[in-house]
Amino acid sequence: MNVFLIFMSAILVNNFVLQRFLGICPFLGVSKKIDTAVGMSLAVIFVMVLASVITWLLNGVLVLMGLGFLKTIVFILVIASLVQFVEIFLKKVSPGLYEALGIFLPLITTNCAILGLALLNIQNNYGLLETIFHALGAGFGFGLALILFAGIREQMEFADIPKPFKGLSGALITAGILSMAFVGFSGMIKL
Amino acid sequence: MIFINSILVLGALGLVFGTFLAFAAKKFEVKEDPRLTKIMEALPGVNCGACGYPGCEAFAKAIIKGEAPVDGCLPGKRQGVPEKIKEIMSE
Repeated sequence: MNVFLIFMSAILVNNFVLQRFLGICPFLGVSKKIDTAVGMSLAVIFVMVLASVITWLLNGVLVLMGLGFLKTIVFILVIASLVQFVEIFLKKVSPGLYEALGIFLPLITTNCAILGLALLNIQNNYGLLETIFHALGAGFGFGLALILFAGIREQMEFADIPKPFKGLSGALITAGILSMAFVGFSGMIKL
Repeated sequence: MIFINSILVLGALGLVFGTFLAFAAKKFEVKEDPRLTKIMEALPGVNCGACGYPGCEAFAKAIIKGEAPVDGCLPGKRQGVPEKIKEIMSE
């Protein structure tokens, strides 16, 4: 299977946020400013790629030992450790970003997009290379959705919108419209 | 057999990741103001939020910046916490 197709389909056609509806929590939480959205996207891409590679290798070991039923808990362990590492690293390297991401940084642990990605890699019987590209695509897709949404929300701050639609309610409606726009990509790539 | 294997695999993985995180925490240790730890020790540490800050750590940081009053901690007021903080800040 063509890795480029997997990559593009994870970004556009099967976008994790806008098509699979995974990882909505940080999507709504960190999309107020483009700067934090970019930082969050980079953190998610890093965790997604590393977590996918490690979980793919571990799944092989688990299946060999006949312990396939342990995969969910092992995957969560891997993801939680990686997120902890990102947190320690960011606190040292970029305290500003660390403060801005706040509670949403440790919450990547429970971001269903990452566990979903790890499980999808296994379900689709991807090889290691395909897994890496799928993870990259999923990460960039998450980033694309988050940054697009943050850009729209920044503009909405200045727009004259009716009071009931200000803030989160307007953001939710915008997210729905953005998701509908991405439906236009569906069926472009058949995997 | 599966029982023991599961325990071994999960235990080994936990050990590996735990050690890795412990080393990472040491390597990327953030040097914090020594007064911060001292003030944190002096505070009751219940994270009640009565001072108006989210948790004792945020309150301690605000004291060091000079934004919060030393007697801002309500539960610790009668236990001599403001005096302790004053002492730490004057060192």
